[in-house]
Amino acid sequence: MAGKKASVWTSISFWRRSAAWVTGFATILLIWLTFDTMAQIRMGTDKELQEGVKRRIPAPTVINYKIDYKYDEKRGLEAPVIGPEKQPLFGKELSPKEAAALLHLGKLTSQAKNCMDCHTLLGNGAYYAPDLTKAWLDPMWEKTMPAMTGKKTKEEAMVEFLMHPDKYPTHARMMPNLGITEQEAKGLVAFLKHMSSIDTNGYPRGFSKTIKEFQTGGTYAK
Amino acid sequence: MNFHMFEQCTDITCNSFFAWLNQGPLTLTIFLHTVIILPMIWIYFSEKKKLERGE
Amino acid sequence: MLNNTSNLSPSKQLAMNYFRVAIVLFGAQLLFGLIIGLQFLYPSFLYNFLDFSVGRMVHINALVVWMLYAMIGSVYLMLPDETGIEHPVAIGLGKLAFWVLTAAVTVVVLVYLFIQVGPGKESTIWLINEGREYLEAPRWADIGIVVVVLIFYANVFFTYMKGKKTGIMTVMVADLMALAGLYLAGMFFTDNISMDQYWWWWVIHLWVEATWEVFVGALAAYGLIRVINAKREIVEMWLWIEVLMLFGSGILGLGHHYFWIGTPEYWWEIGALFSSLEPVPLVAMFVHVLYDWGKEQGQHQAEGKGSSIKNGPTMAWISINAFGNFLGAGIWGFFHTLPQVNIYTHGSQFTAAHGHLAFFGAYATILIGMMYLGIQDAYGLKRLKATFKSKMAIFLITFGVLGMTVALTIAGYEQVLVERAELGAGWQAFFTAQNLPWYVQAQVWREIMGVVTFVGFVYLVWDLLTIGKVQAKAEQA
Ligand code: HEM
Ligand code: HEM
Ligand SMILES: [Fe+2]
Repeated sequence: MAGKKASVWTSISFWRRSAAWVTGFATILLIWLTFDTMAQIRMGTDKELQEGVKRRIPAPTVINYKIDYKYDEKRGLEAPVIGPEKQPLFGKELSPKEAAALLHLGKLTSQAKNCMDCHTLLGNGAYYAPDLTKAWLDPMWEKTMPAMTGKKTKEEAMVEFLMHPDKYPTHARMMPNLGITEQEAKGLVAFLKHMSSIDTNGYPRGFSKTIKEFQTGGTYAK
Repeated sequence: MNFHMFEQCTDITCNSFFAWLNQGPLTLTIFLHTVIILPMIWIYFSEKKKLERGE
Repeated sequence: MLNNTSNLSPSKQLAMNYFRVAIVLFGAQLLFGLIIGLQFLYPSFLYNFLDFSVGRMVHINALVVWMLYAMIGSVYLMLPDETGIEHPVAIGLGKLAFWVLTAAVTVVVLVYLFIQVGPGKESTIWLINEGREYLEAPRWADIGIVVVVLIFYANVFFTYMKGKKTGIMTVMVADLMALAGLYLAGMFFTDNISMDQYWWWWVIHLWVEATWEVFVGALAAYGLIRVINAKREIVEMWLWIEVLMLFGSGILGLGHHYFWIGTPEYWWEIGALFSSLEPVPLVAMFVHVLYDWGKEQGQHQAEGKGSSIKNGPTMAWISINAFGNFLGAGIWGFFHTLPQVNIYTHGSQFTAAHGHLAFFGAYATILIGMMYLGIQDAYGLKRLKATFKSKMAIFLITFGVLGMTVALTIAGYEQVLVERAELGAGWQAFFTAQNLPWYVQAQVWREIMGVVTFVGFVYLVWDLLTIGKVQAKAEQA
């Protein structure tokens, strides 16, 4: 037959087999990677927190601790710093069960009120309002908002703001009143505090500005 | 001078196959690309043989 | 487009039904886009009545749903031509599924608009909205969608098994299975926001950058055969090459969404390089369309037969698709796909610029093209020529979306430099950037270009409603 001269490059069968192989193998790799990642992003345990074991997503009881976000010399990016000092939310330390329940309420409320269609969470969502990834650590909650809402602590100020955002405008663009109850607002604060403890590989960058950041370049820089 | 090309794993967890392959200058991703592409050479020659046999 | 589909095969009649709903939803998408665009400029507009979040939810859900409708329509359109079977095996059930889906979509939209949000309870997720961008549809609707899609898929699959098995249809059937299956990854609740977003991206990314792209590859292949008589062997060989490159880069390209959501550092490398290769097949698709067009046209002219194009508007939209896909997904996607860049651009107006041009260029274009193909069939026309209205629609919509993209890119640039690089994100940093004069001007331009897009849409609908009848008369005369 004349097949001898035919080029493999114009053979449908060659491309079909290659497509099947590449697709199949990429899928297998993705599944393998997913297993590896799942193990790393499941929520940690309370015990790990107590022992200072670092997890990417700490246990819900992380809301009992002081959380910071600092430049990490070794990793060349900012990472959450958890504890060892305690800083219980609303002044009361929660058991693992209570903390998990409060976080559950908060996450559920964040979806029920559709926060993600104005804000970004971990950088994903809408771009109409500020990113909430590290909202718990935002300097605005240190003095400005407690003063405006007439509350003593930042968590109380957050609750008050979330319940009546239309009463506390900071800019012409305001958050709407979403009918959030006090309990739901507390859940949301727990959810935000927990989110700020997630290790996001340094996003947002430069959130806690120090001279060091201006001296460094890429993600691996020291 | 340190160009930061090769870096030891700085991630939180380093005892993972993928973290271990991730040693700096695109080692992990080049490895994965290679294992995906290489078998296509085999497919190429197997198809070539088929064509020569006139199938 | 509204009448006279009686001489169509049942499969194609159903296709036209899907197209009709799609175009209505497209209009709704644009209207709500204009509303939320205006809220950027006048934040008190409809405040506490129809808030930005509600309008945006309708805008992007209408987008996804009209595209799914038009995709299902396109499959029903090509099914008889590719398989040689005019009666899909369960066409009755298919029709029922169409009405059920349309009723469900209507209820979902009404609930979005009039109930908007619910208490922080599971029941809200089941009945009102799920609060996860693009996948806001409540759980009951998710399950309904799965059932309807299963009916659609069964129709396609068993018709395929019974009839001719072309390469195009083989790719289509396999791709649809993956596309439908992926939806399941977005249907569960978890307290862990990182886990949540991990699986959320399986749906969003593996749809638009893998399965939908392959879908478009198959559609373009079918379209080129229909419109310019492209050679099937060549088109199908290209299709396999496209599948190879699209899935080869797109599946692991998923990693570009796992840079900052709590997932391990090794995703930087995987996401960076695999997704950087995603534009390559898009270039290939572009070259392919132009090459085939040039070749067929050359042959036609050599034979002294004039234009080789049997459907002007479809060919125009397929060409814009080839270029728009490459520009919006390929170029604008590559702009921000490396972690070194993405750490600053992640979740900014830059993302929105890319989202607009990519969805429009890669999907809206070719799906509109398929609607024109449906009209040609409905009126049994040998040739469908572009009218003045078709051209106005093409020009205004394309120019409008490009204009919006440029405006958002400028806004994004300002935001990235000031909010991110200079001020390090945060609440005040955000608003400082939002209030920069150049940022605000860009938002004004976006709204102006949005209006241009909408005028183009009016021309489009007008054209779709009239083009068939007018040309049928002309052809008979
Ligand atoms: C037709 C294909 C595509 C469509 C429809 C599309 C659409 C989108 C949309 C809507 C988003 C925003 C998601 C959100 O709301 O959070 C997005 C994000 C993104 N896309 Fe695409 N895209 C496509 C192709 C590509 C390609 C080929 C690349 C890379 C070369 C790319 C790179 C990215 C990146 C890096 C992000 C994340 C942006 C961020 O961090 O904020 N996309 N895409
Ligand atoms: C009348 C024209 C349009 C206007 C005024 C408009 C306006 C908007 C606005 C204000 C947003 C919210 C962005 C944010 O969160 O900051 C948005 C999001 C979006 N729109 Fe449009 N839009 C229009 C047309 C379109 C078209 C034609 C498409 C695609 C075919 C589209 C696709 C999207 C997508 C995918 C998003 C989500 C982007 C993301 O999350 O990154 N829009 N649009
Ligand atoms: Fe993506």
